[in-house]
Amino acid sequence: MSRSPAIRTRPWPRSLAGQMALLIAIALFVAQAINFTLILRDRAEFRLAQATRPVATRIADALDREAHGGRVLTADRGRIRRLPANPIRHGTTERHPEVAAELRRQLADQGVVVGRIDTGLRPEDDDSDRSRHRNGQKASDTSSTDHRSDRQGSTLLIAVEQPGHGWLAITAPWPQPGWRLLIAVLTQTAILYGVVLLPVLWIVRRMSRPLRDLREAAERFRPGEPGVPLSPHGPDDVAALIVAFNALRLRITAMLDEKDRMLGAIGHDLRTPLAALRVRIESVDDDTDRARMTETIAEMNRTLDDILSLARLGRPSEPPTDVDLAALVDAVVEDFRDIGDDVTFVEADRLRMHLRPSLIRRAVRNLIENAVKYGGSAEVRVEADARSVAIVVADQGPGIPEDRMGDVFDAFTRLETSRNRETGGIGLGLALARAIIREAGGEIRLVNRSGGGLDAIIELPR
Amino acid sequence: MLDVAPMGDMPHLLLVDDERSIREPLAAYLSKQGFRVTQAGDAESARTRLTAYAIDLVILDIMMPGEDGLSLCRHIAATSDVPVILLTARAEETDRIIGLEMGADDYVVKPFSPRELATRVKVILRRATAGGARQHAPEANSYAFAGWVLKSGERALVDREGVSVPLSTGEYNLLLALVTRPRQVLTRDQLLDLTQGREAAAFDRAIDNQVSRLRRKIEADAKTPELIKTVWGGGYTLAAEVIRL
Repeated sequence: MSRSPAIRTRPWPRSLAGQMALLIAIALFVAQAINFTLILRDRAEFRLAQATRPVATRIADALDREAHGGRVLTADRGRIRRLPANPIRHGTTERHPEVAAELRRQLADQGVVVGRIDTGLRPEDDDSDRSRHRNGQKASDTSSTDHRSDRQGSTLLIAVEQPGHGWLAITAPWPQPGWRLLIAVLTQTAILYGVVLLPVLWIVRRMSRPLRDLREAAERFRPGEPGVPLSPHGPDDVAALIVAFNALRLRITAMLDEKDRMLGAIGHDLRTPLAALRVRIESVDDDTDRARMTETIAEMNRTLDDILSLARLGRPSEPPTDVDLAALVDAVVEDFRDIGDDVTFVEADRLRMHLRPSLIRRAVRNLIENAVKYGGSAEVRVEADARSVAIVVADQGPGIPEDRMGDVFDAFTRLETSRNRETGGIGLGLALARAIIREAGGEIRLVNRSGGGLDAIIELPR
Repeated sequence: MLDVAPMGDMPHLLLVDDERSIREPLAAYLSKQGFRVTQAGDAESARTRLTAYAIDLVILDIMMPGEDGLSLCRHIAATSDVPVILLTARAEETDRIIGLEMGADDYVVKPFSPRELATRVKVILRRATAGGARQHAPEANSYAFAGWVLKSGERALVDREGVSVPLSTGEYNLLLALVTRPRQVLTRDQLLDLTQGREAAAFDRAIDNQVSRLRRKIEADAKTPELIKTVWGGGYTLAAEVIRL
């Protein structure tokens, strides 16, 4: 019965197999303890009967014989000896009042009336070897022999006061429950454990293996990736669960497909009027007006792109590839420089990473866009150590009040203070960037520099 | 459908879009820019007009009810030499790749600037008349040269180890112009023409600057370039074998 290490370190196992094994072990132990107690009680009763019944008969017989002119009981010979005083010295021997009470009852049944009855346990010694042997033989005649082996030679000395005639002394065997009994019970328990626990563990394993497969399948489940449905195995209940899980997975995939179709339709339906508007504003004569309208439409389109990307992020279509991250950031910066923005890139060494380039590009672009929008310019650098990579976008803007740091990441919310200068949410761009980076296992931090300006830092694990 | 009357030797464009709200103002704008514009609201009427007129260039919306733009585009590419510019509502890369594989010469993503569209129309028409042989925009998906692979769909340059080196829009356009014309000498004006037709981004950047950035990325030693060579008095040339993948 092997147990997992977790069970050894924790007081209460948490796995199904561990809990069942522990519960059954405890239940078996309790049952065996009750069993053991019953056996002990049974043996005690048997010992009492064995000690008193022959003694009562012998005393009755001896007294009967003596009364009818038979052999007179003396102090120095015979199984029953007559003594002038109670031979049991008090304080040195263990007394058994229950034997005295039972013996009195037995003697009364035989019509013998006696005075006090005293008992004393006498450990076995060489002197009494012979008598014990005889007594043992006698005992075996009257009872089953199966308890003989348990006897650990003690003899109970019984003294019965015969009023006016002194005391009658007699010995009775007094077996002690020995180690053998304990060993027998323990062996029995061990066998029971084996017989009960092994099949239980087997059935639990049969259940827990498909359950573990199911858990792993649930953890692996990425709606964007088709994946292989889990083949139903294990007991019927677990197999049914696996079938239900497979169906659930199909439903989720279908729902996400539906969402994608809907988003595609929304994108199309919104871009078409935007495109119509964009074409029509070419007929606006005022250059300034036209430029503003163009910019507004472009902004609406970027927001639409961000919304669609954010909604689709759960199942990106682009697979991760090996990319030089430094070149990626450099290329994004170059695109900003191409349209005349004041963005600089601090030259960095080649940095090989495994990620989704288009999404990471977008995250970096959104951060730089924010920096340019609120800080006027941006300096971008890539820092790498053995375990992580940081892309730092530093601007010269007003920064973000410390108490609002968390808010800026919430989609569709914008700060009401200095950052709320233009349309187009800072929130959506940052929310998308953060969602992309988190999907890649990283995090975005915003840090106000002590000298003024804000550092937006993308941290990615290597 | 509103057919514009014939006007001398003006280039004749066929504008196919099911959205009247886009088609009509766009036709009006392009007419003002000196094109003769014929409109079609679906693929079927577009096919009729293609056979009825000598069309110089087709501007084609991808998303149309009935036969879609991609299917019509494939038909045009298979049956004629008429260049096609696709209008797409989706910016996803897959659409771009598919559109270009279908034989389109270029694409613009909605909402597009009509001026940019007009510029691209002019560039493609000038190429078609001047160069004779038609320069389909990337027919192949990838170009291998000197250990590098330029993937046109992903706009990525992949090195020998399989690591992709992202390029800026300007760098990508310049490199694409070079790898599609290996061992040809391209002047700065030609390169500007070839690169600015595709995206508005590269307009104001000097070609020289882009070249030196590209050299830093792909040359073993950017100071003594072996791949992108400067031709004295001329321009630049890609001195490498290019294999279309």
